[in-house]
Amino acid sequence: MKFNYACRHQPRLLWRCSIRTLGLVVVLVSALSLDNLLVGDEPSQDRPSTIPQHELAFFEQFIRPLLIEHCYECHGDQDQSGGLRLDSRTAWQAGGDSGALLTAGKPNESRLVEAVRYENLDLQMPPSGKLSAEQIAAIEQWVTLGAPDPRDGPAQTDSTDAAHESDGEGAAQHKPLKGMSVEDGRKFWSFKPLSNPAVPSPRDRAWVNTAVDAFVLSQLEAAGIAPAPPADKRDLIRRVTFNLIGLPPTPNEVQDFLADDSDDAFQQVCERLLASPEYGERWGRHWLDVARYADSNGLDENIALGNAWRYRDYVIHAFNDDKPFDRFLIEQLAGDLVDEPTVESLTATGFLVLGAKVLAEPDVEKLMMDTIDEQIDATSKAFLGLTFGCARCHDHKFDPVLQSDYYSLAAIFKSTRTFDGNNMGAIKFWNEYQLGSASELEALKPIEAEIAAKKSAANSFKAQAMKQIADAAIAAAPKYFGIASLLPPRPTLPEVEPLATQHGLHARMLHHARVQLELRRDDPAVAQWQQLLEQQQSPETIEQHFAELLLLAQQPEAQQPETQQPASASGPSPSSNAEPAPDVDTERAPAPRKNKLISADTASREIAAHLQKLLPELLTVPVQPEFAFDEETLIAYYALMEEARVVESGAPDPPAVMGVCDGQVRTTLPIHIRGSHRNLGEPVPRGFPVALRTSTVEPVFPRRQSGRMELARWMASSQHPLTARVYVNRIWRWHFGRGLVASTENFGVLGDAPSHPELLDWLARYFIESGWSTKDLHRLLLASSVYQMASTNPQAEKAEQLDPENRWLWKFRRQRLEAEQLRDAMLAVSDRLDFTAGGKTVPLRNRQFVFNHTSQDYTTYESLRRAVYLPIIRNNIYTLFEQFDFPDPTMPTGSRQQTVVAPQALLMLNDELVMDSADALAARVRRDYSQTNERIESVYRLALCREPEAAELSRAAMFVQRLSARFAAPDSGQAVLDSADQKAWSLFCQTLLASNEFIEID
Amino acid sequence: MYDPHSLLANRRQLLQQTAVGFGGVALSALLSSLSQAGDSARTGDAGNVPNPLHAKPPHFAPRAKRVVFLFMKGGPSHVDTFDPKPALDREDGKPPPFALPDVTFAPTGNLLKSPWKFQRYGQSGLPVSDLFPNVAQHVDDLCILRSVHGTNPAHGGALLKLHTGSDQFVRPSMGAWVTYGLGTENENLPAFLTLCPTLAHGGVNNWGAAFLPAHCQGTPIGNASLPAKQAVVKHVSNQRYAPDLQREQLDLLQAMNRDHLASRGRDQALEGRLQSFELAFRMQATMPEIQDLSLETETTQRQYGIDDPVTENFGRQCLMARRFLEAGVRFVQVTHSDSDVQWDQHGDLYRGHTKNASEVDKPIAGFLQDLKDRDLLRDTLVLWGGEFGRTPTAQGTNGRDHNPHGFTMWMAGGGVKGGMAYGATDEFGYYAIENKMHINDLHATLLHILGIDHERLTFRYAGRDFRLTDVAGNVAKDILA
Repeated sequence: MKFNYACRHQPRLLWRCSIRTLGLVVVLVSALSLDNLLVGDEPSQDRPSTIPQHELAFFEQFIRPLLIEHCYECHGDQDQSGGLRLDSRTAWQAGGDSGALLTAGKPNESRLVEAVRYENLDLQMPPSGKLSAEQIAAIEQWVTLGAPDPRDGPAQTDSTDAAHESDGEGAAQHKPLKGMSVEDGRKFWSFKPLSNPAVPSPRDRAWVNTAVDAFVLSQLEAAGIAPAPPADKRDLIRRVTFNLIGLPPTPNEVQDFLADDSDDAFQQVCERLLASPEYGERWGRHWLDVARYADSNGLDENIALGNAWRYRDYVIHAFNDDKPFDRFLIEQLAGDLVDEPTVESLTATGFLVLGAKVLAEPDVEKLMMDTIDEQIDATSKAFLGLTFGCARCHDHKFDPVLQSDYYSLAAIFKSTRTFDGNNMGAIKFWNEYQLGSASELEALKPIEAEIAAKKSAANSFKAQAMKQIADAAIAAAPKYFGIASLLPPRPTLPEVEPLATQHGLHARMLHHARVQLELRRDDPAVAQWQQLLEQQQSPETIEQHFAELLLLAQQPEAQQPETQQPASASGPSPSSNAEPAPDVDTERAPAPRKNKLISADTASREIAAHLQKLLPELLTVPVQPEFAFDEETLIAYYALMEEARVVESGAPDPPAVMGVCDGQVRTTLPIHIRGSHRNLGEPVPRGFPVALRTSTVEPVFPRRQSGRMELARWMASSQHPLTARVYVNRIWRWHFGRGLVASTENFGVLGDAPSHPELLDWLARYFIESGWSTKDLHRLLLASSVYQMASTNPQAEKAEQLDPENRWLWKFRRQRLEAEQLRDAMLAVSDRLDFTAGGKTVPLRNRQFVFNHTSQDYTTYESLRRAVYLPIIRNNIYTLFEQFDFPDPTMPTGSRQQTVVAPQALLMLNDELVMDSADALAARVRRDYSQTNERIESVYRLALCREPEAAELSRAAMFVQRLSARFAAPDSGQAVLDSADQKAWSLFCQTLLASNEFIEID
Repeated sequence: MYDPHSLLANRRQLLQQTAVGFGGVALSALLSSLSQAGDSARTGDAGNVPNPLHAKPPHFAPRAKRVVFLFMKGGPSHVDTFDPKPALDREDGKPPPFALPDVTFAPTGNLLKSPWKFQRYGQSGLPVSDLFPNVAQHVDDLCILRSVHGTNPAHGGALLKLHTGSDQFVRPSMGAWVTYGLGTENENLPAFLTLCPTLAHGGVNNWGAAFLPAHCQGTPIGNASLPAKQAVVKHVSNQRYAPDLQREQLDLLQAMNRDHLASRGRDQALEGRLQSFELAFRMQATMPEIQDLSLETETTQRQYGIDDPVTENFGRQCLMARRFLEAGVRFVQVTHSDSDVQWDQHGDLYRGHTKNASEVDKPIAGFLQDLKDRDLLRDTLVLWGGEFGRTPTAQGTNGRDHNPHGFTMWMAGGGVKGGMAYGATDEFGYYAIENKMHINDLHATLLHILGIDHERLTFRYAGRDFRLTDVAGNVAKDILA
């Protein structure tokens, strides 16, 4: 079998089994082998009687123990890694996923031998370490002998091994799970064709506004639970406004609705909201969760997806325009292959490019297959509510999805181009469609040149400054050596700094040099220094010694004056040049010495040359500019870097959209055994998962196209069992806080069963019949009594006993504001929200790195535009989003979590946006009203859509009064009093924004 | 009808059953939260968020109660630190006499000997290079894992693999898994902290919770672009209002929330948020106190090298880590990374590794000594290492390439054998060959040391029971004392 790091379920990792179980197997098989030996001359009837006795003995002595010890754990009765079993002859003769185990008589052509030899990096067994040379030789010998093996036994996992059955844990649990058969799969509820259920007739007819109510109520009646009464009108308008446009209703909107007694008052509100552009900004964001939308790649190399915003705007428009969902689907998967592709339809295919990719993956083939896997994962989860990912390595263990199904789909994506084939360097480019005209591109050239020039200016400044420091240090090398002698072997920087400053040396370099002089004491040049140190020579002497030595290295031999005295080759000869210790005067101002400390013989010259070469390692400039440069240089360098960054961040991109196109068409793709692109099996043709096919006829794919159009049309077909069900369930979830199928991304065997299966099918049909109109579906659901129920039920006690999770919908599910709703609501009530729609908002050029040279992310979130337009930076999500359960933008998410964690409270107490909003809200009501009670009422109306009660009024008034008094004494000047009053009101407003009532929707 | 008595009873029950710790508060109805006890829980449904953070018993007796991971970003070279290869001295400059992987990060040069000398230390006599003279003094406490392998040839993939077990999908990080499995011992603090983490190469995913409940996520204190001195938890202090003012504000808020709750009936989210504000307020006081290193003696500060600009930054991180561990934080990661080169010496190995080692050697030694002196090392697992090692072959003339095929990490404390070298790479140090320890094995072993069976610590997500070790992982039992 093969393994490598490409595979998600690394086969090598299947090397697991409890020691206890292993022990059992060892004992068991040892007993068997003993048994075999004991009854050796009485061969059982189906044992090949042809095995000569000496071969049998060889097997028993060398091979069987080895197999037991090193192989059975993963290739035995409990695990069959790589589909291979080694505990019986018939089993291994059947081979594994990668084919035959061995070719009898030919060790060099046998995978077994190849594996134990450890020569092929992708095929090394056993994985925990190479066998001994003797053991490998034994296996080679065994194969040469023709692999004689007396072990009879079933090759299947349904071993009737009695001893094994006695294993108390139940061996059956360890058997590999088998996915559902295709036939059984077609009978599973979500794979069955849509049914056409009759609308039931519950008893309480008055409650039934729509067919939806009939389905829900009849189930409640059967359970004996009464639905909650209708919601209060204030709750209802707050609910529907947040729900449809993600914002709170204004006090006037509330007032108008309360005043409107007509039958269609609520319908009018719904229509107004559905027609507003803010609707698409709210519901488009739901789809962006599913599409794992982001403005940066994340994962390994976090660079800007500078054109992703066009896809974001496409989605928002699609919702506002009520684009039929089947069309929406087709455009996202095959917008480049529609009859007349437009920029809009090309933009839609960004869906397939948006995923997080390992852009620096050196193994391009792995990158391609990983990308395809991500596309299959996103596509199947988003549109079909299925996870196909498991089938990359093996047939799905639960759902009726075969490995061959996976590669049928993969063949379609393999025929699709997601990367820009011309830019496959260290960081690979994803594919984009260039929209700019030649003149537009020409116009950008000066900007490109400017960016390049700015970057190069910063780089060359750094290089030059570094070189200057290096040169200066080398020139001062003798001084460094002299001063270093005053320092302990491993000094701390504070010990070094005063000396360095005193002598004009670079402290970190002096520090480094001293440590090096210790570590390299065996080096001949350094040894000289150590010797001088031992002789307690003065710094000046040492300095002069090395000055002379280095001078020697710089002067060609011919020009050197001949010296009289040959010196010892091994180092300085202080004894022969001994001189009295320098007196105080010379130490202060050492005069140029006449006496040469060293001679210019060949040995010294060699050492000098060596030292010259060694200098850069002893006097090393710190790599980091902040350690190398003095403050002035550093500021200048950072200024240049910042200049380059600012120019790049602000520069316009050439107009382009992210999107896929067809590549080289592959009509088949080999199954990747165990998911490895280095171990290819049978080729399979392009196709759709067998269990999901709506026709018994196999699809036919065009020879010159990838097949994405056929895939998209098949998924968008009214006959498809999943597409409409999955989508209407999403819409339901986004209205009611929980799907009819709670697991919005999993309609498979391990997903949740639908709470109302007939209703789900009825809705799916209704949706298709309405021309896949999302807005029609909204209208139906909003008009239902189910939507208009209160969030509390007087019979809650009883209902909770019967249905604690409220699956049957006996009350409306209270929901916390999502991150964007929370932020936008704070801005809206404080009258600060900027309604500008669309356009690029990520402050980075396309493919620019998110983090600058100091790992700083310059993305800011101070914009007051709607949250849907804030940049989504993978790996560094805006804190407010992150804390309030914004989904991971690498995974399709249809159902956000609603956690309550303390950091949320910290944020509401201390975040600038919250406090600024409270300030603005306070200023707003202080400006508009003069009376305390009026102001309090206004804050309640704006933030909570209701009037305060008397007790609330007096409590709030006392709070403001008390705090105001704490900020300023009563006899302060007007300005001070005014500021104190504003602060007190601000604290009060912040309290309301942080309250449960503000953040929860009834 | 709404019954105030049942609410009170339920509130009591709630407080007993769901520790409203730093991280989170159960949202699910009481009944369903009871039925969710155990290792796995459900997600994907807003009404059904799993149980939070109270300390949970491990599967079996643990050897360690807490973990500190000293992460050396960039990939320290094993053949220059803890895995000496005499063959490199002998064969220096010759072409590698073994097959190279199909994919390498950069073109491969000839064998390159280590510029550092190794000396034997301690009773065990294990060799450590001159890069780590101070850590070497503790060699008898180290269990040197010389056969780690299986990350990824590029930084991004390798960091993710090391921290989450997956280089392809966003998966929960090991600290999140540990938090999920064991909860916390101090409910005023996060259970999983990461000090000065790098935002590059996976960033938050390296301490993220992915599909695990949000409270399992690591809380970053600062990041690699800031000095440790400035590292704080976001939003932990208020720039405008003093604590007593905030207390008054909180009192008003809680009065409003109580009224609101009374009119809405039983609701764990509402109740939980009430508690979460109290906790947040307490944490505003607790965090700065633990991070205040001036409360330590000068001797201790010197022991960590805080008095020396070279070691100050990492020293501060290590000392903060000790204070957090002492306060009951379950998992602390300390990252040594700067924004520039880290341990990633494709060129100029000598210069880069010297700089890096000089920044961490003394703080780590001081940290180990301090843990010993306080009797914390016994039940604290210390893990040291990078996302891969480096090739024994040269890149360019004087650098080394990434090597995920065999490299060294070490453990100390936490019931692992000290003075031991476990596993081996080949004679040149390119591939792990003996007692190979895949990254999944490392994770399995780490969980085992904490008393967790890695095959039983599962979480049901998207219809599958996920594990930190996916479908693999063996516990390296030989290293357990």
